[in-house]
Amino acid sequence: MQKGLIITCPEYDDATAYLKFYSKEIIDEALSKLLKVKSVEDKELNEKDFSQILNKIDYKLVVLNGHGSSNAIWGYKDNYIIKLGKNDSLLKERIVYARSCNAGELLGLKCMEGTKDGCFIGYNLPFIFYMDARWTTKPSNDNVAKIFLEPSNQIPISILKGHQASDAHEKAKEHMLKNMKKIVAGPQNDESTLYLEALWNNYLGQVIHGKKEARL
Amino acid sequence: MSSEIEITENMKKLVIARIEARLPSNIKLSIGGTGSMSKEEMIEHVKVEDEQGKQIIMMHINFIKAITSGELIKELNKC
Repeated sequence: MQKGLIITCPEYDDATAYLKFYSKEIIDEALSKLLKVKSVEDKELNEKDFSQILNKIDYKLVVLNGHGSSNAIWGYKDNYIIKLGKNDSLLKERIVYARSCNAGELLGLKCMEGTKDGCFIGYNLPFIFYMDARWTTKPSNDNVAKIFLEPSNQIPISILKGHQASDAHEKAKEHMLKNMKKIVAGPQNDESTLYLEALWNNYLGQVIHGKKEARL
Repeated sequence: MSSEIEITENMKKLVIARIEARLPSNIKLSIGGTGSMSKEEMIEHVKVEDEQGKQIIMMHINFIKAITSGELIKELNKC
């Protein structure tokens, strides 16, 4: 496996636009380390093309943004890109971060069974974030979405910095705890507890499977 | 981590009341990184108890359980 990053960046609504915006930070970190990057965008985000990409490009780190379920991850709209029992073995020896609902429950667990050097970090609950509709065309100004998406970005960024997968997992959880503490200690708005609920959901749901010592 | 908790009408009323009282109209929710829903759409999903509605309800219930069990405070005190 080569040191490099494959990242899916679907963009077809405001939520995927936010994930794409936050993915830029991950790509920039990889490029700053002079790593190779394959950003997979809309037209290639289907099972056939994505499987071909994984077969052809053996980059160690794979970041998946998009809709998920316990046994699949989607790419562009209704096109799944990874399905348990079909092409999940293509992830087996990689370090995978899935910013998707529920994929940590079964897909992440099963695709890492018997792995030597692979690791899967994802969620066994829905991945949730709030956003401020006033900033959907300029996510960089959205301080609400930042509360949720910065900790999630920390997972691939820590791995790109050379940390092992379990450290990246723990750092992201610590970041969520810090954000929860900031909300508790800060001015109490009506919406504060709703943000706490969503952060707690992501904190509770984040899981790691496979070789926890895996690193790039 | 699929929930086996039965969702009751009282749970739905509680969740809807919390959303109605606390969520500003400019804030939207995204579940799973696809699409987003307004306050009114969240309430509708909870009312009809579809997949997204169930996820919203469970998010609220898990949080309330974490507060009442002391789990949230325990975790917050870790950092």
